[in-house]
Amino acid sequence: MFEQLFLILPMAIVVMGAFVLLLLSKTFSLDKLNLVAVFFLSLSFIIEILRFGTTTVCYSFPEIFGKMYIIDDFSILFDLMFTAGAILTLLINTAYFKSRNYYNGEYFALILFSVFGMMILAHSNELVTAFIALEIASLSVFALVGYHKYNKVSSEAMMKYMILGSMTGAFFILGTAFIYGAVGSTNLEDIAAYVNVPAEKDLVLVLIGGIFIMVTILFKMGAVPFHSWVVDVYQGAPFPVTMFMASTFKIALFAIALRLSLIDFASLNIVWSEILQVITVLTLIGGSFLAITQKSIKRMLAGSSVVHSGYMLIAYSSIGLGSDMAAPAIMFYLISYFLSAAGAFGILSFIATGSKKMMTYEDFKGFSERRPYLSAMMAIFMLSLSGFPSTIGFLGKFYIFTSAIESGQILLAGLGIVTAFISVYYYFKLIAMMYFYPSTDQQKKFPFDFSGLLIGVMAMMVIWGGVGTSLIPFIPGANGLIDIAKQAIDSLQNVL
Amino acid sequence: MSSLLIWIVLIPFASAALLGFLHLLLPKQRSLHALYTVSGIAAPFISALMSLAVGWELFNSSDDMMIHAIAFNWITLGDLSVNVAFMADRLTAVMLFFITFIGTLIHIYAAGYMKEEEGYGKFFSFFNLFMGSMLLLVLSDNPIMMFVGWELVGLSSYLLIGFYHQESANMKAANKAFILNRVGDFGFIIGLALLFTALEGTGYTFEAIEANITTLDSSLVAVIAMLLFVGAMGKSAQIPLYVWLPDAMAGPTPVSALIHAATMVTAGVYMVARFAFLYNEVPQVGVYIATIGAVSALFAALIASYQSDIKKILAYSTMSQLGYMFIAVGLGAYSSGIFHVFTHAFFKALLFMGAGAVIIALHHEQNIFKMGGLKKKLPLVYVTMFIATLAISGIPPFAGFFSKDAILAAAFASEHYMIWGMGTLTAMLTAFYMFRLLFIVFFAEGKMDGKLNPLPRTMTWPLVVLALGSTTVGFLGLNEAYGGTNIFSSFIALPDLSHHLSHKSEYLLGMLNVLMAVMGMGLAYRLYAKSAEEPQVNNVWRRAVVNKFYIDEIYDTVIVRTLRHLSVFTDKIIDQKGVDGILHVAVSGYKSAGAAFAFLQNGKVRYYALYILSGLSVLSLLLLNALGGM
Repeated sequence: MFEQLFLILPMAIVVMGAFVLLLLSKTFSLDKLNLVAVFFLSLSFIIEILRFGTTTVCYSFPEIFGKMYIIDDFSILFDLMFTAGAILTLLINTAYFKSRNYYNGEYFALILFSVFGMMILAHSNELVTAFIALEIASLSVFALVGYHKYNKVSSEAMMKYMILGSMTGAFFILGTAFIYGAVGSTNLEDIAAYVNVPAEKDLVLVLIGGIFIMVTILFKMGAVPFHSWVVDVYQGAPFPVTMFMASTFKIALFAIALRLSLIDFASLNIVWSEILQVITVLTLIGGSFLAITQKSIKRMLAGSSVVHSGYMLIAYSSIGLGSDMAAPAIMFYLISYFLSAAGAFGILSFIATGSKKMMTYEDFKGFSERRPYLSAMMAIFMLSLSGFPSTIGFLGKFYIFTSAIESGQILLAGLGIVTAFISVYYYFKLIAMMYFYPSTDQQKKFPFDFSGLLIGVMAMMVIWGGVGTSLIPFIPGANGLIDIAKQAIDSLQNVL
Repeated sequence: MSSLLIWIVLIPFASAALLGFLHLLLPKQRSLHALYTVSGIAAPFISALMSLAVGWELFNSSDDMMIHAIAFNWITLGDLSVNVAFMADRLTAVMLFFITFIGTLIHIYAAGYMKEEEGYGKFFSFFNLFMGSMLLLVLSDNPIMMFVGWELVGLSSYLLIGFYHQESANMKAANKAFILNRVGDFGFIIGLALLFTALEGTGYTFEAIEANITTLDSSLVAVIAMLLFVGAMGKSAQIPLYVWLPDAMAGPTPVSALIHAATMVTAGVYMVARFAFLYNEVPQVGVYIATIGAVSALFAALIASYQSDIKKILAYSTMSQLGYMFIAVGLGAYSSGIFHVFTHAFFKALLFMGAGAVIIALHHEQNIFKMGGLKKKLPLVYVTMFIATLAISGIPPFAGFFSKDAILAAAFASEHYMIWGMGTLTAMLTAFYMFRLLFIVFFAEGKMDGKLNPLPRTMTWPLVVLALGSTTVGFLGLNEAYGGTNIFSSFIALPDLSHHLSHKSEYLLGMLNVLMAVMGMGLAYRLYAKSAEEPQVNNVWRRAVVNKFYIDEIYDTVIVRTLRHLSVFTDKIIDQKGVDGILHVAVSGYKSAGAAFAFLQNGKVRYYALYILSGLSVLSLLLLNALGGM
């Protein structure tokens, strides 16, 4: 009993934290609530980090829930990223919360609820559980997007997101129903067993169900043609929420996508890959188009996050074509994207604390003179996002393209490289703005603060993850991270 | 024991980082000088102690003993697995010994020489970096790590040659050194890559390569050997990539001493000796190397005889001595070559440090014809310089005699008489130009008035130590003909190609060498001992030699200008008109496509829902298509 409880302890801590925050929301100040939220998240983070690599695959409360809820290294790695993402979001934006008057205690509870949802999603071994988890996370994020309720843009973004999100959410449950109809179970292992003994007629139903589920996942990832909400919602949401969505929520979708692809549809992957390839091509090109035409940095990053989904989809379709490297490549890419995107959005919201402007390319002219350290870090994140060598982003892309070539999708890898070139345009434009133009303002005295320090640490990790080795204990470098990614994927494959 | 190897390399690097950091943080703080001195000198000193321990361990074990240390795995990609790993065999031990020992002395000397300088901390940081790089180069256990050290040596020499960066001439010299080294490195890396591909993943450490070298096609090995030697040409300043070496005198004198004695230029010779197994497969390449060496030796000696800048004379003499070393390693007499590297390190360091002492004493005067009569004023420098000059000229029993004699004997024995003849002629010229320098600076009437700068003790004591070394280390290589057992070459145990030579002919050759040296000495005495006037440049020959055969000018016209014209052409025509033109078309097309795509992004939810549904429909169609084919 207690052993079972211990297994779900990290998620339990997060959800308990959310309730505690709700209780305290009227009595505590924002600062204290923020710390309480960080405390609960850190507690969960620490338990997970101690557990990573030590547990064998097991299920929580199997007598009651069956095999709904799985615990393996794969899901623990995702939990780590979710909690870390939330912690970073909260800590970097400490000042931002105070500068806006619409924040209150429930905000932190919502963040914790959505982290809880994502964690369940990563652990779910069953489609209905996955659906519920996805909805818990999504609903919290809907609310977060519209948190500035007196702002038209924010509310509009929330409405758009919610309408489209509910519509695609319906597809998920519809797909689940189809699959249940064919298989008689929604458990992933049962489905896998069914699919591996093919009786052609019924597979059609499974495939159609799979397509529907996939549409939901692709929608949340922001793959073209399901991407149209991305730019508007990222733009409308408050900065901290955009950061949270781009860095953390996006990753959660890959947790379920990877689990589905690796366990479930292995024998259907040939059909899958073709469909995925079409979507990948559309996503890469469409995302580039979106990013290249934007004037505001936030919208540019939103567009480029679509392109990054495209890169991961390249590897995703390689999984089915027999590339061993592909799944770890996605994991590694997720880590690299997480660090770089959280950093870039973190800087944006950090700057936005002091001003209420839109933050366009123009606003960054001469930024290096005003805030030399911050702009150096921004440059590092931009380099990493564009995949510049010696940053973690380069290795991420390198593994992705390797897996694509390994699985024979050379044209797709070529397209990926071309879009990476195009991405240099919109990322380096920002660097050029920061460094090659004189500043219009005077240099301000910049205070040293904790948020800046955190961003600095992340910039260091981006570099260290690109060149580093195991020289510094407890901080994995480039080769350490890929080993972690492989370990997680191994635990996933061991289930079958 | 094996972890010592890591520390030998790590300590200089760590000290370099520490000093560099401190200097960056507190650039003007003079009170840190004591710390800079202590840390700067302690790092090579500790490395020297540890190197001695390693050497002792190797001395007491069998001659194929190797010490390995693997720090961590750096890259694993398919067949390519590179460990950051170190390896010490006896060759390494010899290199380690003189690099750290002489390096330490030069560091001590530099503490005196540089004490008034602004960038004292920076200097020691670069100096330690240089040491660390060189140690990395000789200790590496695979060619990749060696290449890393090789490049770092190039970088740190660039930093140090351009140390007085306020003057653009010095930066030009630094750039020249760096770029010419890059040319060599280009050959080197291609050679390494070719070797890697040829080995087909049978391991890429020196040991593994040695084990598999016989399986390779010998014409391919010849190409690889040539390409690797191109790298050596750059680093060790052989024709045609030598022109950086004299210009590198722009750096402070301790830097010259370090580059010429303990580090950089010996890297090429070491590399060839390290790849001895490879060069033994293709002796015809070796002969080519030896020929390049002989021509370089003679050529440099000729130029040195007409120079008037004290450091440039020494620079050309280094190039000439390196030529000897390449004669040796080219003809398969690796241990003789390394022995000459070893003895040369002592007397060349001594010569540079002596020259540096003279320069400091005379308030930064470098023209020898403006010096003179320093015998009485700088007795210690005079005596030690005299010893070094005797050593480099090959007068027994000083160190240079034994090593040079061994090389010339090897050339004679391998029946390459042309190379031998050039070597012997160079020996005479060496004695001539070195004694020319000595006589003009110390004997001829003085032309300088005024007080000399006092020399700090840190600048004089290393001279004494090195003078002792220059006198004695030659006996380590005393061969059988002279009644020794050649401790050096039996210790170092390199795969020499041996040619037998009778004792009688060895005596004859030795006597001939001494005779040549004495002739050169006599000539120098007759011309310069009493009074020294700067010679008139009054005929074609002299003008050609004084201007270093116009090689710099020829390079400038043939290579530099042609490249520049080509660059301008590429820039103005190909790039701006051609490439940019095509790109502009592509970019504008892309931008308008982007704008069209953004038009779809109209902010209306009903349209967005429509996109999603149409996407779903297309997916369904694809699925139908796929299922139809099933």
